[in-house]
Amino acid sequence: MSAKSKHKYIRNRFELMDVVILIFLIIHAIVIIVPFISVIGTSFATQREAAASKLMLFPTKEPTIDNYYRLFQDPRIAIGYKTTSLILLIGVPVNIFLTTSLAYGMTKTNYPGAKVIFYLILLTMLFNGGIVPVYLLMMQLGLIDTLWSVIFAYGVNTFYFIIMRTYMISLPDSLVESAKIDGAGEWRILFRIILPLSKPILATVLLFFAVDRWNEWFNAMIFLRRKDLIPLQLVLRNIVMDATIVGSLSIAGPRVPRFTEGIQCATIMVTMVPVMCFFPFLQKYFVKGIMIGAIKA
Amino acid sequence: MAALVRNEKKLHLKERLTHTGKNILLNKEKYFLILPGVVWYAIFAYIPIFGLSLAFKKFIAKDGIFGSPWVGMINFQNVFADPAFAQSILTTLRINAGRLIFVFPFPILFALLFNEVRIGRSKKVLQSIFTFPHFLSWVIVASIMINILGQQGLVNSFLKAVFGIQSIKFLGTPSYFQPLVYITDIWKSAGWSAIIYMAAISGIDTEQYEAAEIDGSSRFQRMWYITLPGIRPTIVVLFILAVGNLMSGGFEQIFNLSNAATWKVAETLDMYIYRITFRGSVDFSFSAAVSLFRSVINLVLLLAADRVSRRIGGSGLLA
Repeated sequence: MSAKSKHKYIRNRFELMDVVILIFLIIHAIVIIVPFISVIGTSFATQREAAASKLMLFPTKEPTIDNYYRLFQDPRIAIGYKTTSLILLIGVPVNIFLTTSLAYGMTKTNYPGAKVIFYLILLTMLFNGGIVPVYLLMMQLGLIDTLWSVIFAYGVNTFYFIIMRTYMISLPDSLVESAKIDGAGEWRILFRIILPLSKPILATVLLFFAVDRWNEWFNAMIFLRRKDLIPLQLVLRNIVMDATIVGSLSIAGPRVPRFTEGIQCATIMVTMVPVMCFFPFLQKYFVKGIMIGAIKA
Repeated sequence: MAALVRNEKKLHLKERLTHTGKNILLNKEKYFLILPGVVWYAIFAYIPIFGLSLAFKKFIAKDGIFGSPWVGMINFQNVFADPAFAQSILTTLRINAGRLIFVFPFPILFALLFNEVRIGRSKKVLQSIFTFPHFLSWVIVASIMINILGQQGLVNSFLKAVFGIQSIKFLGTPSYFQPLVYITDIWKSAGWSAIIYMAAISGIDTEQYEAAEIDGSSRFQRMWYITLPGIRPTIVVLFILAVGNLMSGGFEQIFNLSNAATWKVAETLDMYIYRITFRGSVDFSFSAAVSLFRSVINLVLLLAADRVSRRIGGSGLLA
């Protein structure tokens, strides 16, 4: 970034200050990384090694995949993956369709009613009904205990809508005008001209939506109460909370043969690794996305 | 004469109406374009907002929100009579005011320091590490924290091995709950929030730095007198937003980090709404009254912060 050029003229001096700053930042980085290493380590450890070693970061004596093996015997994991995948695969296209069509339709607010609609959309960032009326609405629509409740409760994200709209406004007007002269309709212009030109911002918003959908748990906890319809995040929550309760009860009693912490950490891993895999792509785009958003804010 | 003017006005209005009509017809495709999104906002954002009118009604399930009878302020009387409600407001304010003091400055600090790192490659690696936790849900982060802060967790093992301290119940001690909230908040989000400030820093005119360098300023002086004032508008906007969130925010974090031992100090307004709505005996009208109160207070706080910021000469949110 431009910070690099900013300091070019004093680059030859590497002062004490640099060392102090770097050490401070590296310590923070270590504080972030170590918990992850601990989780990864524990997920591959046996109960024996975890209990025996004083400060175990990673199992060296007897690494095992036993925790994962036991975890995948739990039917909830399959249910979790299935539910979350469905929410993601149906939800993200819904999000993208609603957000892009609205963003393009709102690039110009020069037609009757457009300004009012735009301000009403922005108002939802300042004022919302909260979960209670949404729950009652879902009940009246008969969507409770169906995936549609979770999918539709999160439709347009106003912040992503603004980012997208801001980007589309920056596109040259002449392209749209000439397409109109050629007789192209608005939908055609959106799909053939605007979206191909908006690829970077489309990728950003797509990845944001995908992460949001992957991390979805609260709406699901409220709207879905069937045992065969639990998203992965809630499966993790259940497994960690269950184990905490069991653990506190069995302190005095005989030890359970399973390694509870190990299975917990294995669950964290199976929930987290997909996000880790997508993170490089995310990182490529999010800075751009947030900068456009920041300009608007 | 008067009739003539009236006639002219009528004509004018008619003209305008036909003009608007033509405009609507001319743009009819635009309306189809925004229709799906607008319908979504109408159903899933605005019906719930109007649904808060339940706060002044007695909810009868078979009549739905809009068919239930009006009862005036009874629900609010019940809400204000519940000591847990007042307690939850105090808890929310305490936790969120602490956030403003202990959590808010960290992203600024990180951005300032990050701007001073001169080795390009380490910068990229550091940035990846700092931003990654933001993309994890609070369920995952809380699970990680439960794992490393548990009785046999990493932190307790470390304290025992190095300082010989007996294991501390980090998650089960009420007085540790607030620091836990702040530390995990910084752990998860500070690196991400720093990006906004870094974007602002990259917009500062580099000539200022060169001039200051020629004048013989120290690095700290440049940070204090150029970088910090340069990102002041960004700080102000984010501060206004944070003040607007004084009554809400952090539900997902607190819900996942709290447990039976700490719920008393963890019951914020959102937690209270969750408990009265989805645990125990349900009174949707009562919940709606609390929700409406919460939303109105949030809006008032936001607008007040915006007004104050403008009064003292800063930039506003809706500038």
